[in-house]
Amino acid sequence: MRKTKGALACVLMGLLSSSACWAQDDLMDFFGEDEGPTVVTSAFKAGRIINVQSPETSGEGEMNFIIAHRFGRLSDGWYDLFGLDNAQMRMGLDYGITDRIQVGVARSTFGKTLEGNIKWRFLEQMKGGGSPVSLTGYSVAMRDGLRLPPDGPERRGVHRMSYVHQLVVTRKWSPEFSLAVIPSLVHRNLVDQPDRPNDVSTMGMGFRYKLNRRMSVNGEYHYLLPRPIEDGLHNSLSLGLDIETGGHVFQLHVTNSRGMFERAFLAETPGRWQDGDLYFGFNINRVFQVR
Amino acid sequence: MKNATLILAFCSLVTSVHAQRFVTREAQISFLSETPLEDIRAESKEASAIFDAATGQLAFQLPILSFHFPKALMEEHFNENYMESEQFPKASFRGVVAGLDPEKEGAQPVTATGALEMHGVSQERTIEGTMVRDGDGWIVEAQFEVACEDHNIDIPKVVTENIAEIIGVTLRAELKLK
Repeated sequence: MRKTKGALACVLMGLLSSSACWAQDDLMDFFGEDEGPTVVTSAFKAGRIINVQSPETSGEGEMNFIIAHRFGRLSDGWYDLFGLDNAQMRMGLDYGITDRIQVGVARSTFGKTLEGNIKWRFLEQMKGGGSPVSLTGYSVAMRDGLRLPPDGPERRGVHRMSYVHQLVVTRKWSPEFSLAVIPSLVHRNLVDQPDRPNDVSTMGMGFRYKLNRRMSVNGEYHYLLPRPIEDGLHNSLSLGLDIETGGHVFQLHVTNSRGMFERAFLAETPGRWQDGDLYFGFNINRVFQVR
Repeated sequence: MKNATLILAFCSLVTSVHAQRFVTREAQISFLSETPLEDIRAESKEASAIFDAATGQLAFQLPILSFHFPKALMEEHFNENYMESEQFPKASFRGVVAGLDPEKEGAQPVTATGALEMHGVSQERTIEGTMVRDGDGWIVEAQFEVACEDHNIDIPKVVTENIAEIIGVTLRAELKLK
């Protein structure tokens, strides 16, 4: 009996002496309850990983001006200053209708191509319950603007059009590392050679690895389907560096695709890395709040 | 028998403590970064707060991602470059209130001393504010300053004209009896 009493007293003493602590812990319990799922943001820094779309869109009322260059072949050597003497350019404007829906227009010197596009991040990656990935749809219509040779076959306006539809499946694995899987469909109303298919699809992958708060290494690869692919075409591979400076994101990269719109780099990449068909280039993203 | 009484007494003490807890999950916390070039404001209405009238303990917790800015890019930079919100998702204050008379009507100046933690760095602070008895609850208001440097929040030289080194914080919490 005495023993039990002693034990009980000990327990009580322990309880009382820890009561101050206990109150503090209990206060904190109140905060533990409010852990709801949160949206995982900023899987990538810019709207494009390098060439291909990332899940990022312009915020609501934001106009993103993108000016991109791809210089000539690095293997051209000193005569062309390793390609710097020749540049292809793309200028684009992306406007955020909401934080998740964006529309854009762009013009490339490559093929004098005009494009209109729409992008919608329709599912967000969530932390603490919800979707493990974000899903983003992207569709672009491209119009080839080159003058036709007078002796060529007759073409109407519709023949100049091509379209690409893609799905960007992204997971931000950690604050540093994000991975995207990007299947794409390319449709050309008219192809330039009779044996080429009108429809081509690609399976792509892209990643971002943050080196620090302002810089990241990016890469992307697109595997052409159907196989075997035609002579003279290759898979697109690009590697680059993103540098963020306040209002700008600079993206510097090396790629074997010189065209900067989807049809060109996904389905019509003629060069190969191992042959030195490499192009140095950059994208500069500048954001303006217009509304 | 004696022990049983003691336990009972202890339990009743616990309940009485419980009865004097005041809480909210909709405390408003806003901040202002003021420079000659640009004023940046952001607000959250999702802070949680709890006040224990028996012990004087006061605690706030704030999800950093709940701060909203007028421009999406500001919000991205705030979370990605300055607060590193994924790594440090919450800011908190855990302290004890001094100078409060629970029976008094009207606004009372009080101080709260405790640990202010954000961006993974905790600072011992004494913060001045006011508390007003409001029906069966309390309204807590405070204005204080936070130096970015104190919490290891790095402001690069190129943006020192746009972002203040010292940020003004305003908070208001309407605490209700739990």
